[in-house]
Amino acid sequence: MSNNKPMPVPTEISAPFWEGLKAKRLLIQQCTACAHWVFYPRRHCPACLAHDLAWREVEGSATLYSYTLTRIPTLPDFMDEMPQKLAVVELAEGVRINTNLVGLAEDEIHIGMPLKPVFAQVDAKGNRLLRFTGLDKDAVNLEQLPAVDSEPVPVSSQPEPRKIDFNDAASLQALVSEQFSDWSNSIVVDQALIDAFAQLSGDDYWIHTDPERARLQSPFGGTIAHGALVQVLQSRMKLALDFEVTGFSTQINYGSDRLRFPAPVPAGSRIHSRARVKQVELLPRGTQLTLELNTHVVGHDRPSVINDLVILYRA
Amino acid sequence: MGLKGHAAIIGTAQYKPEKYATAPKMFHLEQVADLAAQALRDAGLRPEDLDGLVINGPQFHEASVFVPAMAAEYLGLRLNFAEVVDLGGCTSVGMVWRAAAAIELGLCQAVLCVLPARMAPLGPDEDPSWMARAMRFGGHSTAFGAPEAEFDLPYGHMGQNTGYAMIAQRYAAQYGYDPVAMAKIAVDQRTNAQANPQAMFYGQPLTIEQVLASKRVADPLHVLEIVMPVAGGAAMIIASKEVAARARKRPAFITGFGEHLAFKSPSYAADMLHTPIGPASRRAFEMAGLKPADVDAAQIYDCYTITALLTLEDAGFCAKGEGMAFVREHDLTWRGDFPMNTHGGQLSFGQAGSAGGMSQVIEAVTQIAGVAGERQLGRCDNVYVSGTGGVMSEQGALILQGA
Repeated sequence: MSNNKPMPVPTEISAPFWEGLKAKRLLIQQCTACAHWVFYPRRHCPACLAHDLAWREVEGSATLYSYTLTRIPTLPDFMDEMPQKLAVVELAEGVRINTNLVGLAEDEIHIGMPLKPVFAQVDAKGNRLLRFTGLDKDAVNLEQLPAVDSEPVPVSSQPEPRKIDFNDAASLQALVSEQFSDWSNSIVVDQALIDAFAQLSGDDYWIHTDPERARLQSPFGGTIAHGALVQVLQSRMKLALDFEVTGFSTQINYGSDRLRFPAPVPAGSRIHSRARVKQVELLPRGTQLTLELNTHVVGHDRPSVINDLVILYRA
Repeated sequence: MGLKGHAAIIGTAQYKPEKYATAPKMFHLEQVADLAAQALRDAGLRPEDLDGLVINGPQFHEASVFVPAMAAEYLGLRLNFAEVVDLGGCTSVGMVWRAAAAIELGLCQAVLCVLPARMAPLGPDEDPSWMARAMRFGGHSTAFGAPEAEFDLPYGHMGQNTGYAMIAQRYAAQYGYDPVAMAKIAVDQRTNAQANPQAMFYGQPLTIEQVLASKRVADPLHVLEIVMPVAGGAAMIIASKEVAARARKRPAFITGFGEHLAFKSPSYAADMLHTPIGPASRRAFEMAGLKPADVDAAQIYDCYTITALLTLEDAGFCAKGEGMAFVREHDLTWRGDFPMNTHGGQLSFGQAGSAGGMSQVIEAVTQIAGVAGERQLGRCDNVYVSGTGGVMSEQGALILQGA
């Protein structure tokens, strides 16, 4: 869950709606003068302009009026929801609501399908958004924040890597390629992780650590991860390499020939990485293999970290 | 009710669309002066002939209020009529009829309509990241109390792409969807752009396969069905028939118009698929005493292919639900049986902000004047022009006729 997503700011007029969601109740206004149902909240009825709207609790049964699945996020902060399932639903009372679909696979979504509300928890303070899902889904189960996935998840069904001896110059040279590997597992870089790194490194610049200020002043609309943090998170991502170097006694991180941070990683982003073998040298001190490691925000073409990592294998 | 057709567009000016990064940076007041001088030369008028001004208020760089007075002062104009139009992509169409109405009311005799859309130079203390922050939410208000800030943005509903995509999805569910026909709209317009050296995509032909193979942005829209934002800007001179009599070129008389809007988010439309261009176009045709079949060309606002498709239907060029078949059955190029967006449309000409819509009006004027060069239509007396702002939220139509 991104910390930088725009959040609703209730007004005096709309507060009952948001308070209702917190209590898992859907409250919609109805005009007492002409019985017209109203969404979003107002002071005046858009059918007759009467200044007399009453809050009513409704069931929330709805149908899907239209939707789209996004292939490029509407804002980078929504990357963790890709594809976003943006929808317009029509409540039984006739009002339409801009919302999201949750818990539905792409091929389960059809215009006209019946839907029910999901009171989706979006922060630790108990704020909720009104989302919708299919009638056969467990709406309560869909209320929770998506689990923050920051542990390495091994890429499943990966073939057993080829073992190559660290002295086998010909086989090692054959690894050098312009072609990158497949993607690693992905992990989420959330504000807690950024804060922990700020404390550890002493780099507590506001663009990393102050979401309120960053929301107002950062060109990215919120906080971003330290480049160095994203660099070291490499250790949590299992690279999808199809080989394994064997036969050595020690393996040393010899440093980096090139380290660049071309694109930001906004707090809450999901990242993954891939690599290619850039160079192999058999030297007196050992076998030196240069891996070009690229870490990207999932779905972004531009890497957030480019690291030409030099690994030294010693006999 | 309506216009008598006593006002005409007699001069135009338009910057060649360019990428923002390489386009000249100019203050908007300077762009207004430059475009005005060019349009006056095109019309054969002198600055002192101008006594009306219609200009943008939103997105004007040097000020957001008192824009007409500031521009009049900068250009040395004495105005009897000044107006700001805030209708997004429909602004140009809205400017034309407002100027024509003011002229027919006898308020003024020659009106400059102008939309600067190049970027202004950055001030010494201005932070380039200000731009990135301002662009983050596109055209959406994030003001406290703005309904969209509270009820759309938190769900990720923002920008134009997804709104148009949802309209297209509903169209598909109700009437069926032919991606090839949709791609053909972009391809026919690209063909037109090959005959327009001013177009952004001049010299870059396009195939249906390329459109369908281009990246999806939001289902079902491909990136090549969406306009490219460019730097530009445009101006027009609208004058009384007396002034038009001494114009250098054949004037384009404004004989009909219509305008309709009822919502900002199409989610709240009574029916998302019956767009405001319907009532706007009916009024325009009725005012001009013409039918859709009477026009020699249609310059249809095309921020997306779906916009063009729904306008073809709702303006009455074909029946509801038959737009895809209409596109398949007609050649939409300047050589074809239904010339549409003969300059390439904004899809291939480029969309210079709200001045993008002026490219459609200017192409109509250019065709009526008979100076369109290679892409000139054999006969062009009656032209339909549409404008669309927001997500098919504010729409307008014009009928322009050569005398």
